[in-house]
Amino acid sequence: MSAADADGAVLRVEDLRVGFDTREGLVQAVDGVSFAVAPGRTLGIVGESGSGKTVAATTAMGLSRGPRVRVSGRVLLDGEDLLGAAPERLRALRGDAIAMVFQDPLSALHPLLRVGDQIGEAVRAHRAGVSRAAARARAVELLEWVAIPNAGQRVDAYPHELSGGMRQRAMIAMALANEPRVLIADEPTTALDVTVQAQILALLRRLRDELGMAMVLITHDLGVVAETADEVAVMYAGRIVEQAPVGELFAAPRHPYTWGLLRSMPRIDAPAGAALVPIPGRPPSLIHPPPGCRFHPRCPYVRERHRSVDPALESVPDAPGHRVACLLPEAERRVAWAQLAAGATPAQARAAIEPAEEAPA
Amino acid sequence: MPRPVKRALPLALLCTAVAIALGACGSSGGNSGTGATADNGAGGHRGGTLTILTSQDVSSLDPGSAYASLDLNVLAATQRTLYTYKPTDPTNIAPDLAAGPPQISPDGKTLTVKIRSGVRFGPPVNREVTSRDVAYAIERGFNPHVANPYASTYYGDVVGADRATGGPIAGIQTPDDHTIVFKLTRPTASLVAQATVLPLSAPVPPEYAKPLDAKAPSTYGNHVVATGPYMLTADRSGTVLGTGYVPGRSLSFVRNPNWSATSDDRPAYVDAVQVRIGGSPTVSGRQVLAGRGLVLADSPTPELVKQAYLHNRSQIFFSPGGGSNYAALNTAIPPFDNANLRKAVAAELDRQQMRTVRGGAVVGDIASHFLYPGVIGFEQAGGQQGTGADFLANPAGDRALAARYMKAAGYPSGRYTGGQTLQIVGLAGAPDSNDAQIFEQALQDLGFKTNLKLVDSSVLYARFCGLPKARVNACPNVGWIRDFADPQTVLDVAFNGNDISPENNPNWPQLKDAAIDNAMSRAELTVGTQERANAWGAIDRQITATAAAIPWLWDRQPNIFSADVRCVPELWNQGHCDFAYSSLK
Amino acid sequence: MAAYVLRRVLWGIVLLALVSLLTFVIFYVLPSADPAQLRAGRDASPATLHEIRVSLGLDRPLPAQYWTYVTHLVFHADLGYSYFSGASVGSLLIDRLPATISLTLGAVVVWLLVAVPLGVISAVRRGTWVDKLTTGGALLGVSAPVYWLGLVALYLFADDIGKWPLLPGAGSYVPFTNNPGKWFASLILPWFVLASTFAAVYARLLRGNMIEVLSEDYVRTARAKGLSERRVVWRHGLRAAVTPLVTLAGLDIGLLLGGAVLTETVFDIPGIGRLNYDAIIHADYNVIQGTVLLAACFVIVANIVVDVGYAYLDPRVREA
Repeated sequence: MSAADADGAVLRVEDLRVGFDTREGLVQAVDGVSFAVAPGRTLGIVGESGSGKTVAATTAMGLSRGPRVRVSGRVLLDGEDLLGAAPERLRALRGDAIAMVFQDPLSALHPLLRVGDQIGEAVRAHRAGVSRAAARARAVELLEWVAIPNAGQRVDAYPHELSGGMRQRAMIAMALANEPRVLIADEPTTALDVTVQAQILALLRRLRDELGMAMVLITHDLGVVAETADEVAVMYAGRIVEQAPVGELFAAPRHPYTWGLLRSMPRIDAPAGAALVPIPGRPPSLIHPPPGCRFHPRCPYVRERHRSVDPALESVPDAPGHRVACLLPEAERRVAWAQLAAGATPAQARAAIEPAEEAPA
Repeated sequence: MPRPVKRALPLALLCTAVAIALGACGSSGGNSGTGATADNGAGGHRGGTLTILTSQDVSSLDPGSAYASLDLNVLAATQRTLYTYKPTDPTNIAPDLAAGPPQISPDGKTLTVKIRSGVRFGPPVNREVTSRDVAYAIERGFNPHVANPYASTYYGDVVGADRATGGPIAGIQTPDDHTIVFKLTRPTASLVAQATVLPLSAPVPPEYAKPLDAKAPSTYGNHVVATGPYMLTADRSGTVLGTGYVPGRSLSFVRNPNWSATSDDRPAYVDAVQVRIGGSPTVSGRQVLAGRGLVLADSPTPELVKQAYLHNRSQIFFSPGGGSNYAALNTAIPPFDNANLRKAVAAELDRQQMRTVRGGAVVGDIASHFLYPGVIGFEQAGGQQGTGADFLANPAGDRALAARYMKAAGYPSGRYTGGQTLQIVGLAGAPDSNDAQIFEQALQDLGFKTNLKLVDSSVLYARFCGLPKARVNACPNVGWIRDFADPQTVLDVAFNGNDISPENNPNWPQLKDAAIDNAMSRAELTVGTQERANAWGAIDRQITATAAAIPWLWDRQPNIFSADVRCVPELWNQGHCDFAYSSLK
Repeated sequence: MAAYVLRRVLWGIVLLALVSLLTFVIFYVLPSADPAQLRAGRDASPATLHEIRVSLGLDRPLPAQYWTYVTHLVFHADLGYSYFSGASVGSLLIDRLPATISLTLGAVVVWLLVAVPLGVISAVRRGTWVDKLTTGGALLGVSAPVYWLGLVALYLFADDIGKWPLLPGAGSYVPFTNNPGKWFASLILPWFVLASTFAAVYARLLRGNMIEVLSEDYVRTARAKGLSERRVVWRHGLRAAVTPLVTLAGLDIGLLLGGAVLTETVFDIPGIGRLNYDAIIHADYNVIQGTVLLAACFVIVANIVVDVGYAYLDPRVREA
């Protein structure tokens, strides 16, 4: 039994790269992602669809193996590299030491098996000598633990017989059946309505605390992140473009993409009458990503240099734990954000930071 | 009465494949050096069980209504008729139940037959057969519940038969227990005598059968009593259905305990006969060739014929006199109301090719008239040589002659220029369909436009060729199997103008030639085998000369059997192995 | 549920009535053989033909004949008598049914035992030689006509005419109650021949379903739980993929119980299919009607069972 590693992280991802060989070419879904999570802490990974966040998570679990998949980097669970592990070792760890909760519990739970059986088999797969009756009893226990009323009857229900919220709770119960050290939750609330969302998030926080596990919460919803995460990583085009403690990210984001995300969602502390500004354009091709900064085609503040130079993820001066991959000078970034936070449009913000001689033609 | 040819080979052999091996590609002579030969069975071993494989069930076990060739084969073992044909002589009747030859009065209107003593019914009737039993057997043929298909045709001249409905007939008299006398209204006693080879004259015990004949239809067939060397296994009450006869499955024969060898010429070697119904000839045929004690009752497939001929020659027998095939031309409507046109078609048709697609010389002889080998009058009509008609002289056809006939018909170019499209209806399935196509081609070569329809056999007769109002111009796949050796059974119904009927018409060419009809009326009443042969032979020539129908094949029916079977083929019945004469080696 | 089944059964009876009427119409209205004529021979006189018709009851007006048939069936459970042999149709059907049932059920077992593993394996090992072999085999199974396949099987393995005499040949069928050993041996070749087409179709169907199912989210979840691959494929994958096959099998069983005439003919098995075929050849109307009604019955029952069974297999359907 190994404790968290030297830095206290139980899950550490180092320079993970995942590519898929397709007829059109190599799709580089994850292009050099690194993060770490400590026990009892939650890392939120935010990004649009296609940003690579789900692939990173499933690859960490070892679910992305296949003949056309090219994986490199390291995924360390308590110091053990999962990517290099044998399939049987990986299988033993999945559902036991590291577990995952998926987005849509209606499609993620087997429609033809009872919920209790599905939970029970998660237990029996990793604990020898557990009888079916014992597994069923444990399933009831777990369902109660995730606050499902009438657990004794619900254990024999089929997934479609439960409401959305209860299904997600059941899936969470299933994932946590063996008290994993790491839980990866991929969009756990996206398929649920808002009131239920809050409940599920609260549940996740509670369970995390009770088990002392590390949690990775993947979402496209900044509101979810704000509530639940301790630290946030923003992913774009297969890379992390900004990473910061949660408070810091919302108060002083440094990356234009993050700005775009924040300006495109309603905020209670925004000035009255401030319009929502969506980010123009679409996510880039992962086979032929744009040269230079990958965000540059959609960035309102793009400069000539950004088209050819690829920024690295670097620490922000004066902001501990805050890293960003952007070529804009720090000072200008602060100015621009101040504008945006006050309700200015990106065009206005850009104007505020343009040097006179680089005015766009 | 004639029956149309039914046991045609299902697929075609190519001339190159088999007939070359036979070295007889194209020869029209009878090839009797092929395969096993006709046998009278003398000297066979006693014992064993003969097993017959057939894909088709028997149509009837009641001698009063049975008619198909398999039925006749089965009944030949269990029923004794007044007269019969020995396996090797299909032309001259021999006494079976009768004690001696038929006695015909000089005026031909009285037929007297003496019946043997010592012939007994099998269980459960057990008693001796009397003339009264024969009389009842024939009388019940007129009972609608029995509805014999040929009773009125052949026994219709018996006094009182026209009013008969199953009760006693005045003209059938039984002065004592062993004499039966037929009084006729016309001098057709020769014909009646020959007609007794058909099962109707097999004795039926009235006290046993009357309650069964009262049912509609009669159920005597399921309780039939035997007089021959074998009987169907039955229960104590004589019920055959369920034991000796399982419909669609099997027939089981054992020795008739009441049969005495001294009263019968039949050797009856085998102890039992099993008939297995079902399966398909393709498989059964192979089982027969490779197995022991088996006989195939179906027509073997061409592959099997070839294989047997090449590798198991002693296991295949080609029975001559299997029946005739001809192409009927509708003489009632244009264009074939014109005799010259008909003769042109006859001259154009390559009858040799028609035979080749059926397998070549082994399958039969090229026909040149309508009486075929084994039928009385065959030689008188010209035998294998033919009648001398020029349009049938060349089996491969004679184009130049055809052109001349076309000109004589009014088409100077030698090709038909009329606007009519000919309706031709043939049989579906090779090789019959191939023959229909060859026929169609001949017509097209003469310039006719044609529309060929290929249908199933029952539809062919019921809806087309046998229905005058269907206005079919030609039927290339028709033909007859004789009922017995008398030529009347082959020629009369098929070509007599008086027999044309609006439905179920057997005179397919609808030939209505006064001279021929008169000749037939006279020949019907002719007494004496030789006289009948001459009279009907002449009629055959006349019919041939009209070209109302084009004869093209006299069948030889192949039969195959296992290597250890000594098959005695019934030359009078498609060459089926006779149960009562055949033995196991 | 009981009300549902009852409704379906009542509707089934209506269907049977329609089927019997349709058979009656087809037989008498469309060109086909005339039983009286077949019995009489081609050249019987019209008078004889008429006599035979009367004795068979065929001279009465058609609706009257149909009505008699229906009333006999409904009130006396009397299916009439065969024109051909005089045996009662009921007894013929009872006599032939065990052979057809033996043939059908055995074939079902064979084709499921073959199709399920092949379908699963070729889905799991998609693109490998196993998959290609299965695809090729399936193509053969589907294309090869049953009759031809039966002949080939006999020519290869029949102990009387085969190249490698291993198994009993055509005509060796005996009822189970006579001799179970011989019954079993005689049915081995027919089972495989009859099963071939179905095995091919089912294997391909299952393969397609499995490929789809294995890419579903719940299979990913199963793997994420750390279940063994075997459990993922067989308990999670197959369970979801097999439902349409079970439905199809139910329907196919219903159809086959009406008789598999080609197989029965090649192997000379005395089943309902061959009975029906022989009856058609002989224009034996009562037997035809009897076999058709029996076959329709089986299909209707199979449909009901399959619909009820589907709800059993897929709980999501139960709500509807």
